[in-house]
Amino acid sequence: MFKLIGGLLVVVASGLAGWQVSRSYAGRPVELRQFISALQLLETEITYAATPLYEALSGVAEQVGVPAASFFRQVAFELGAHRGYSAREAWHGALEVYSRRSALGPGDLSILRGLGNNLGMSDREDQSKHLRLAAEQLKTAMAMAEEAATKNVKLWNYMGLLGGLVIVLALY
Amino acid sequence: MNKYLITKPVLHASAEPIQCPAGGWRQIAAVLPSNLADLIARVTPRYLNGLEEIRLRRDRPLMLGLGGSDYFLRQDGTPVSEPDGAYLVDAADLEKVLHNISGSSLYALEEELKNGYVTLPGGHRVGLTGKAVLENGRVKTLKYLSGLNIRVCREIKGAANGLIKHLIEHQAQNVYHTVIFSPPRCGKTTLLRDLVRQVSNGLPGMQFAGRTVGVVDERSEIAGCHRGVPQMDVGVRTDVLDGCPKAQGMMMLLRAMSPDVIVTDEIGSMEDIHALEEVFNAGVRVIVTIHASSLRELANRPALKYLLQLNVVERFVLLGRSRGVGTVEKIFSSADLPGLGVKMCLS
Repeated sequence: MFKLIGGLLVVVASGLAGWQVSRSYAGRPVELRQFISALQLLETEITYAATPLYEALSGVAEQVGVPAASFFRQVAFELGAHRGYSAREAWHGALEVYSRRSALGPGDLSILRGLGNNLGMSDREDQSKHLRLAAEQLKTAMAMAEEAATKNVKLWNYMGLLGGLVIVLALY
Repeated sequence: MNKYLITKPVLHASAEPIQCPAGGWRQIAAVLPSNLADLIARVTPRYLNGLEEIRLRRDRPLMLGLGGSDYFLRQDGTPVSEPDGAYLVDAADLEKVLHNISGSSLYALEEELKNGYVTLPGGHRVGLTGKAVLENGRVKTLKYLSGLNIRVCREIKGAANGLIKHLIEHQAQNVYHTVIFSPPRCGKTTLLRDLVRQVSNGLPGMQFAGRTVGVVDERSEIAGCHRGVPQMDVGVRTDVLDGCPKAQGMMMLLRAMSPDVIVTDEIGSMEDIHALEEVFNAGVRVIVTIHASSLRELANRPALKYLLQLNVVERFVLLGRSRGVGTVEKIFSSADLPGLGVKMCLS
């Protein structure tokens, strides 16, 4: 009886581990897509309406999906709190917190970090160039992430479960 | 000349005290980096209440305009008249001020950078200098900003108390076409702002009902608009067109807002005068200010000479500093124009 319960636990644990890995593969393109559309919204706000970052970011946070919205909400909050943070500091700080719970890879994060260095620092034309560049880079990353997702999501889901079964059989 | 009426120095004999020294400082402290705000806050309140401007120049001493004189500020917050030992403003200080002013969004200040100044909440103004970037021979923007001048806005309610009765035409229940002129820094705009407020609100004591006033505030000085909302009391019947070129703005107000009085600051170009002509012809009263130290000087400028020749303006008010900023030195009527024989305007 104990053996059966133990075996089941091993299979479930291993299945969950596989699912966790597969989820990060599946989540990355979703987040990247959200960030790309967020940057496009931000570009529109900045180029056409010259909306200050605080308002523009709050607006973006309302319009993009979870989880990316939480990042933009955080940056807007830091800027709105008037604690003397520059846009760069607020952006980097929020990105640091966001990256802990995100499926984004180091490459994706470094694109966003690079954008943060220039955000709000120049005229509209220049801002638009930076935002477009970052969006293009994220699109390239997304193409790769989608490819990796189609390959790996199912693989890791099965591998988790089957790996668990193999362990259980070996132990029996 | 001394037979012309000279009223009391209105800014100093104002009915109500100066409005916003403490509040004004708080609003300005909000855009300063904390080290600078703390330093300036150490200045004794007696001086701080007379704060007129804060000048930040990169790698040069921090300077305060206090009660009409310049002072440098030591590390411990003591104002001194010699720059030795004064706090030196560095690039990071300037950058932080710009971040705070723009909400970390320099691109939102493009128009302001082009004009060289930004209006803060509360109507305070920040003048900017740096390197101009040109496009087709015109300033496109400023970069490498290296000098900031934060001018504290002082709204003085009652500044026009001594003057207003001379500008009201009781029969028509309206104001005379008025030109206020003076050399710079004599309180033209402060006086104009209070005139706008009083004409707009009406003067029950003088049986004068308020009139709709349209203000074209090209340099955001009269109403001190921040994002289009007047930060100063310009009266209940006042519409403000902020940041709009004067000539265009007057036409827009005339067509759209049906004002009884149109007010604008510092006219001078022929285009402005032609727009004024339209306003005169529409039966709308006009109050404007002009930079000039005498009527003769005014008449020497071609555009203004043309304005005088139209012979529409009924009151010319000369401001000076003989008894403090904002002293109304003389009030001329249209019949007092130079070379036309002198007549007492008011007795």
